[in-house]
Amino acid sequence: MINRKQIIAAMSRIEVSANDDGLMPEFNVFVNMMPAKFWNSFAERLTRKVPPDMLEAAEYLLVNAAHECGYHTGYGIITSDEWKAVVEPMIEQVPEDILHGAFAVFTAWGWAKSEIVELVPNERMVVRAYDYYESDGVTYGASAKPSAYLIRGVSAAFMDLAYGGTYDPSGKSGVHTFQCAQTKGIECGDEYGEFVVTRSTH
Amino acid sequence: MTKYKKTELVLDKVFDTQSCRHLISGQTAVLHCHHFTALYTQLALDCSMLDAKSLLAECSEDAWHEFLSGYFKEHSISRPADRISLAEQTFAAAGLGRLRVTCAGPESGEAVLDHSHVDSGWIKKWGQHEAPVNYIGAGFISGAFSAVFDRPVRTFTATETQSIVSGAPCSRFNVVVR
Repeated sequence: MINRKQIIAAMSRIEVSANDDGLMPEFNVFVNMMPAKFWNSFAERLTRKVPPDMLEAAEYLLVNAAHECGYHTGYGIITSDEWKAVVEPMIEQVPEDILHGAFAVFTAWGWAKSEIVELVPNERMVVRAYDYYESDGVTYGASAKPSAYLIRGVSAAFMDLAYGGTYDPSGKSGVHTFQCAQTKGIECGDEYGEFVVTRSTH
Repeated sequence: MTKYKKTELVLDKVFDTQSCRHLISGQTAVLHCHHFTALYTQLALDCSMLDAKSLLAECSEDAWHEFLSGYFKEHSISRPADRISLAEQTFAAAGLGRLRVTCAGPESGEAVLDHSHVDSGWIKKWGQHEAPVNYIGAGFISGAFSAVFDRPVRTFTATETQSIVSGAPCSRFNVVVR
């Protein structure tokens, strides 16, 4: 059984440090750690400045960046020594427990305090996020535009990893078999963000 | 060149168990991978109608200027040499690569990247590119120069004149007041 509290406590303590070249080669990717404000600023300025008819395309590309990130880095995480030591011993049901464990790691790494609230294997997943940096762009009132592009992309990517077939490092298959819609957002005045992942219609 | 004792960067890293956020010197910080960085950069290249390349650089400039200015103030760092060393260490601590500011003054400067997250990540994902792509790095350098000389953002602009992503052994940036 997945013990979220234990995973969050253990995985949040992992410190990724740069090598002598100032790079962080971890989980089969190069990692960086930047102020959340940087990522938020770019997404917010871009989506507020594009003409209305280009908004959907801009948002798709922001979500896609997270989707590919979640697919490749997510795979690196669930095959890492840290995962094997902390999460793997708790896994009984594959891939559902892996998914629950992945969202505990997602939380531990500070992307979003999130959990799966509904899971229909191979079909549908609903995720709730109770605190996430992508909502920081709104400090007064409620936005008409949800802005949790990272959570959308990574949630879909985790379903790809669970049910989309064998991991493909080239990204030509496996990724984009699922899509995610944001149905609630803290930035929109809701108590939490809600994300519904379904099979891709593209 | 004046010799000085290197001031060590001390980052106050905290995991807030209530919000589940990582805070570095009081600011929310997040881990991301080179896929994310490369795709944001590609998006900036594709979105020419907005000059999203400048937008990406400006967002980096704003974030790092705020971070470095706050750090210098909190730790009472005033000497430009110390500030430059701390900016270089911050660049590395963020996993962005190895930055060397080779000269700096209130009007202009030069910087070199011996290693670069953006360039190495781009090459790992897509291979080489004919033109420089490190807008995030350029923004960092612009913001760092402004922070070092106690100037507001958009005082300096950093232009990448040579890049690792194009096959050069290092990336080079010219910095000048706007």
